[in-house]
Amino acid sequence: MSIADLLWRVPSVQMAWRNLGRNHVRTALATLGIVIGVVAIASLGIAGVALQQQATSDLGGLSAEVTVTPGEDAEEEGITDDQVGDIRSLAPASTVVPQKSNLTTLTARNGDERRVRVTGVTNANALYNLTTGPAPERLQAGALVSNATARTLGLEPGDPVEYDGRLYRIEGLIASTEGLGGGRNELVLPPSALSTQEYYDSVTIFIADDRTARGLTNDLETRFNEGDEEVVSVRNFADVEEQVGSFFRTLNLALLGIGSISLVVASVAILNVMLMSTIERRGEIGVLRAVGIRRGEILRMILAEALFLGVVGGVVGAAVSVGVGLLLFYFLTDNALLVLEWRSFQYVFYGFGFAVFASGISGLYPAWKAATDRPVEALRG
Amino acid sequence: MSVIELTEIIKRYQNGEELIAALKGVDFQANRGEMVTIIGPSGSGKSTMLNMIGLLDTPTEGTVRLDSRDVTDFSEDELTEERRTAIGFVFQDFHLLPMLTATENVELPSMWDTGVDRRDRAVDLLQRVGLGDRLDHTPDQLSGGQRQRVAIARALINEPEILLADEPTGNLDQDTGATILDELTRLKEDEDIAIVSVTHDEQLVEYADRVVRLVDGEIQ
Repeated sequence: MSIADLLWRVPSVQMAWRNLGRNHVRTALATLGIVIGVVAIASLGIAGVALQQQATSDLGGLSAEVTVTPGEDAEEEGITDDQVGDIRSLAPASTVVPQKSNLTTLTARNGDERRVRVTGVTNANALYNLTTGPAPERLQAGALVSNATARTLGLEPGDPVEYDGRLYRIEGLIASTEGLGGGRNELVLPPSALSTQEYYDSVTIFIADDRTARGLTNDLETRFNEGDEEVVSVRNFADVEEQVGSFFRTLNLALLGIGSISLVVASVAILNVMLMSTIERRGEIGVLRAVGIRRGEILRMILAEALFLGVVGGVVGAAVSVGVGLLLFYFLTDNALLVLEWRSFQYVFYGFGFAVFASGISGLYPAWKAATDRPVEALRG
Repeated sequence: MSVIELTEIIKRYQNGEELIAALKGVDFQANRGEMVTIIGPSGSGKSTMLNMIGLLDTPTEGTVRLDSRDVTDFSEDELTEERRTAIGFVFQDFHLLPMLTATENVELPSMWDTGVDRRDRAVDLLQRVGLGDRLDHTPDQLSGGQRQRVAIARALINEPEILLADEPTGNLDQDTGATILDELTRLKEDEDIAIVSVTHDEQLVEYADRVVRLVDGEIQ
């Protein structure tokens, strides 16, 4: 025997179902309220997850990136070759990219000028994505220019640029730097171009194994900084990512709160509907009590009516929410099926659970009131 | 031996500031196979008296005995149990549930009894009151007389000892009322039950084995 058959054998449930069938419009409207509440909770929750997913993928591989810059107590004005060697030995499996940087002014043929940041780096392909030209594994004689700079100064691959009295041929254009801060005016040259600067200004480490950015940061701190000394300053983006995550958790709670309000409104509507219908049926309930139906049975019957509204509204609401979620994920992350993952699908469950809970709570008072009404009074209608 | 016995029943109501005595020391009893009609003008306390007999209300003073058992101080839950097993009700405006069929309405008082299937008895009762061809009709598909027959069948489903009828013919025309009273008279003998009816309809007096006149809370 199925659960439905078993349920049907419970007289309170059967009576409740019949009672709801008596006023279709009222039942439908009360259910609609619940549907809206569930959809509000579930789709706002799912929207939060979808937004978070999109934001995290935009942040890209930042979480696997550690940057080392000279600290306040550095002995030299930069990171020395020895220190770079130490970093390499601390992170053997990772890509270590030492960079020198400076500022210069580039002049276009028509006389336009642009301040650009100059970066001297060997393995430029680790730092930059190129839109034009092959990504050089070792930058030796050529130069890379950011797209924005090339556009404003009218530069094209093959054109020469001058820095510190020497000419470099543009080998490629930079799309945007990975992660934050892309799209600046940037000129990338071989390290030899900045050979007047003895030390490196920063070292970027791309973690390639399963070490965490935070773990590597700790290792570097222990290696270079003794006590309160800050010989090198080590930064990673794990904190940023955590902050972004925590922001989205807060956002999600706020969205859920807004959604819950609509479900609270819906449950007040159920309270109203149930109260009205028990008042209308007062005489009828009096008859039930007169012919020997127990108080508990009346209570269960009215409660079952309220729960039916919640369950039916919850099921319909859940179905609609999944639809809304598919659309949200399709537009925000291009993968509609992500909605079926637990982190977003859980909100459909929360919505449904809350709907059943709220309607049960709303049914309690009318049920109690109907069940405890004295039969003599109730029979008078 | 009487199935229901009221002794020295006094019932007072608080109506605002005023204390109203609806029943002022009423003695009453009814036996199996007997139809007693309580007659009296409105406000005479006959509805209150019916509520006492039907265990729907408790007296301020006096004793109520059902089958010689003192049920005066029973709790609401105990009274509900007694009503379920011993008493059947027929109301003036039938009080059938509109979403249930005739058969389901008859089964209603036994619906919550687990392990008991009264379907056969319900059908049998409906056939006996002449509604064998209306088993699956809902109340709005039945005439007033037919509805009252369904209500009578419902009152008998749990094989009660007493059937209480509150103005059973009040909403019916003269002829239909007469057929309903014939029906009750027949069932009274078949089922060997006490029928207590309350009315101001003199027509009922003709069918009664005994008439109790109630005026101003006292039996005349």
